[in-house]
Amino acid sequence: MANLKVIKRRIQSVKNTQQITKAMKLVAASKLRKAQQAILEARPYAIKMMDVLNHLAARCSSDLHPMFEVREENRHLFLIITSDKGLCGGFNSSIVRKMSQHLKNNGQNENSLIVAGKKGIDIFRNRSVTVQEEIPLWTKDFDYIKAQGIAENLSTLFSEKKFDKVFMVYNEFKSVMQQEVVVEQLLPVVPEELSGKNSAIVVDYIYEPNEEAILADLLKRYMAVEVYRAFLESSASEHGARMTAMDSATRNAGEMIEGLTLTYNKARQAYITKELIEIVNGAEALKG
Amino acid sequence: MKQKLTLNIVTPKKQIVSEEVDQVNVPGIEGDLGILYDHAPILTTLRSGQLSYEKDGETIALVVSGGYLEVTDNRVTVLAETGEFLHEIDRHRAEIAQAVAEKQLSQTDLSEEEFIEAQKKLFRAVARLENLSDN
Repeated sequence: MANLKVIKRRIQSVKNTQQITKAMKLVAASKLRKAQQAILEARPYAIKMMDVLNHLAARCSSDLHPMFEVREENRHLFLIITSDKGLCGGFNSSIVRKMSQHLKNNGQNENSLIVAGKKGIDIFRNRSVTVQEEIPLWTKDFDYIKAQGIAENLSTLFSEKKFDKVFMVYNEFKSVMQQEVVVEQLLPVVPEELSGKNSAIVVDYIYEPNEEAILADLLKRYMAVEVYRAFLESSASEHGARMTAMDSATRNAGEMIEGLTLTYNKARQAYITKELIEIVNGAEALKG
Repeated sequence: MKQKLTLNIVTPKKQIVSEEVDQVNVPGIEGDLGILYDHAPILTTLRSGQLSYEKDGETIALVVSGGYLEVTDNRVTVLAETGEFLHEIDRHRAEIAQAVAEKQLSQTDLSEEEFIEAQKKLFRAVARLENLSDN
């Protein structure tokens, strides 16, 4: 019977989809583990760097370096990190939503974007906002060197006074199930105040070659580390989001298969009953 | 008991070393430094070169490039862009890097930045190779 065949074919197709989503989930899980590892391993460097920077900044006056310079004008630049691939739940849409909200609320400023990731590029191309630069396919072998390049670019734009503030917008990795979109100010650098207890342990260092040179060099590296960290966070979040999305897709497919199997069995039962009735009727007719 | 220094060497990729050591020798920007127990606090940038530390009479060497050294309270922290133990160095790759950097430097139309960048690359490659032939 045609109906039975149709249902059977649908069950098979859902089963195939389920297999794919299951495989994608496993792949995302293993990639997530790697990404998490990368974050953990990069963390000590970033923390140490921040320590040294705060120490130095506390000792030097803040007008020492152009990257500390706070300007009045409102030309803002946003580095938005999205993914290259889809099928990762609300990962990209939530970042786009947050960004659109932010742009709307700060309409009086001159806003420009640098968009990383194909998904984000596709979306922001059709919006009425200036896209300064696009960084497609960053997820493919991303490393510290690339982050350095991006950071240098941002620093140049800032110090040439093309922009007055630089932000990063990315998904921060909270846990596998949870990602949070954050907007972080990158430039001008705001050193943490060494308050109360900490200020007592400001040490008198010997500086070689001198404070200014170290600070300049340090800031360059600090930028690279911050950008690197943001990309790592985003990458871990992406895999986490994909894993969760694929997990629920697999579960949904399972439910669908269950439903379809039930319908299939009912239809088959109905078909058998119908045939039986026909046979019985036929036999009755012959008797008569 | 001998007094020990706590040595931490970290790169953006990972923490390479976290140990209690007796002495640390680093390639400082203005000359090599030997750090012993009770060294005064110091913050300096590093050249590309060999960093070694002594631990229980044993000397362990690695090649670092680009970074800082911070000493406070007998804690020695090295923040380096790259760091490799000698046995991890790929001679072939370092040789290629050296050749490329030399070729770049021989061009006359380099901007100042390009020149510095190429020079850095050359130093890094040379630092790797030099230390390899020592051992």
